[in-house]
Amino acid sequence: MKNLFGYIGRAFITFLQDLSSVLYLFRDTVVQSVILVSDRKKRKQARLLAYVDEIGTQSLLLVLTVSALFGIALTVLISFQLKEIGGYNYIPGFVAMAVFREMAPLITAVIIAGRVGASFTARIGTMKVSEEILALETMAINPVRFLVVQRFIGLVLALPALTLLAGFTAVFGSFLFGSTRLGIRPDTYLRETLDVLIFRDVYSGLVKAAVFAVVIAMIGCYRGLVVAGGAEDVGRSTMRAVVSSTLTIIVLDTVMTAAFYG
Amino acid sequence: MIKAQGIVKKYSGRMVLDGIDFTAERKKITYVFGTSGGGKSTLLKILIGALKPDAGAVYFHETDITKLQGRELDPFRKKIGMLFQQGALLNSFTVGENIALPMREHTVLDDNIISIMVKMKLELVGLRDFEHLLPGQLSGGMRKRVALARALALDPEVVFFDEPTSGLDPIMASVITKLIADLNRLLGITCIVVTHAVEEAMRIADKIVILYMGKVLAEGTPQEIRSSASPIVQQFITGSPDGPISFHASSKDFREDLIVG
Repeated sequence: MKNLFGYIGRAFITFLQDLSSVLYLFRDTVVQSVILVSDRKKRKQARLLAYVDEIGTQSLLLVLTVSALFGIALTVLISFQLKEIGGYNYIPGFVAMAVFREMAPLITAVIIAGRVGASFTARIGTMKVSEEILALETMAINPVRFLVVQRFIGLVLALPALTLLAGFTAVFGSFLFGSTRLGIRPDTYLRETLDVLIFRDVYSGLVKAAVFAVVIAMIGCYRGLVVAGGAEDVGRSTMRAVVSSTLTIIVLDTVMTAAFYG
Repeated sequence: MIKAQGIVKKYSGRMVLDGIDFTAERKKITYVFGTSGGGKSTLLKILIGALKPDAGAVYFHETDITKLQGRELDPFRKKIGMLFQQGALLNSFTVGENIALPMREHTVLDDNIISIMVKMKLELVGLRDFEHLLPGQLSGGMRKRVALARALALDPEVVFFDEPTSGLDPIMASVITKLIADLNRLLGITCIVVTHAVEEAMRIADKIVILYMGKVLAEGTPQEIRSSASPIVQQFITGSPDGPISFHASSKDFREDLIVG
C-alpha cells in the first residue's frame, strides 16, 4: 500500500516536471517562431511549407481512408436505431454534427500523434544520441529554432487542414452509404446536412485541431529533446510521446467539447 | 588563451574531475590524454561550455565561460569549432549544406559567396568533389574530415577535437593528424585535442597534459613527458599492460568478493 502511494506520488511529480518543461518549450517555440517568421532571410531558409507538405502528404491517404470508413460505420450504427421509427432523415444532420464537432478532430489528431508525433520524437531523439544537437548548440544555433519551430508551424497549419478534409470525407462516406443502401435521396441528404450544420460546428472542430497540433508537436519534440543514452531510450521516448499526446488529446477534447457545447 | 582552473565534476557522487588546472596557449597544439573513462570527454564538454562544472572556472580571453548562461555563450561559440568523435553531421543535410550551415546562420554572406567558401573549406580537407553527398554515404574518416571543414566554417580561433583518430585506419589517422598540424602551422589555429593516441600526440603536440584519476598527472612538452621519471607516465606512453595502472577497474578485493558474494 505504501509502495502504491509512493509510486503515485513519484508519477505525479514526474508529470508536473514534464508539464512545466513542455510549457517552457512551448513558450520558447512561440518566441522563436515569431523571430523566424519576421526574419525574411531565415524564413526562406527554413522552408516552412516543406513541413506542411511532408506532414500532409505523409498522412493524407490514411486519414481520408479512416474517416470515410468511419462515416460509413457511424451511419450503419445509427440507422439500426432510426429504422424503427422511420427517421432516416435525421441521419445526415446527426452525422455532420458528430463528425465536424467531435470525430474528425479527434480521429485525425490520434492518427497524426501516432504517425507524425512519433516521427518527431524518433528523429530528434536520434539526433540527440548522435550528438547532432550538441553540435548545433556548439555552433551557436538554437536547437528549438532549428528543429522545433518548423515542425510546430507545419503541424499547426497541416492538422486543421487535414481535419477539415477528414470531416468532408466522413460526411461523403455517409452520404454514399445513405443514398445507395438506405435509400435517402441525395438532395434530401444534402439539404438535411446544410440545415443542421452551422459554421460554429466546423469552426469549433478547427480550433480543437489547432490545439491538438500544439499538443502533438510540443510533446513529440520535447520527448525527442530529452532522450538520454542510446537507441533504447529513443524507442522508450517515442512510445511515451504517443501515449501522453493521445491521452492529452482525449482529455482536452472532453474539456473543449464541454466548453463549446456544455 | 584557454585556461581551466580547479575544475571539479562529479556524476552521481563519483568524482570524475578532481581539481583540474591547465592552460592551452594561443596558436599551439595542446593534447589532453588519459585512460578511457578518465574524464577526458567530460573536460572537453566543460571547455566548450556544454556542461557546467561543480566548481572551477574556464577562462577564454579573460571571460569565465562557466558563468555564462544559454545565449550568453553564443559570442564564445562563434569563435570556436568542435570536431565531434562521430562527426555529428546533420544526416538530412548534404555535405555542402552542413558546412554552409554556420555561415548561413551567423553571417550575412549571400548564397554564391557561401558556396565558394564551402568549396574552399572542402578543399582544405581534400573532399571538394563530395559536396552533394549525404553524410550517410561517406566513410568514417571522410565524415570526420567534413565535420572538420564544418568546424572551420567561421574561421575559429580555437578548434577542439574529440578523439579525432579513433576508429580510423592508420593512414586516415595520419591524414587527420597531419590536418591538425597544418591547421595550426598554416592558419594559426589553436588546437585542443582530446585523445588516447599517444604516438600522434608525441609527434605534433606543443604541450601534453595527462589526466589520471581525475587529476592532472603530468604536463609538458613531448620531450619532457618522454623523459618523465614517473612510472605511471611511462606506462602511459609505452602503453604497457603491466605497471602501476591496474587493468582491474573494480575497487573491491577479489577474494573478499567471492567469499561474501
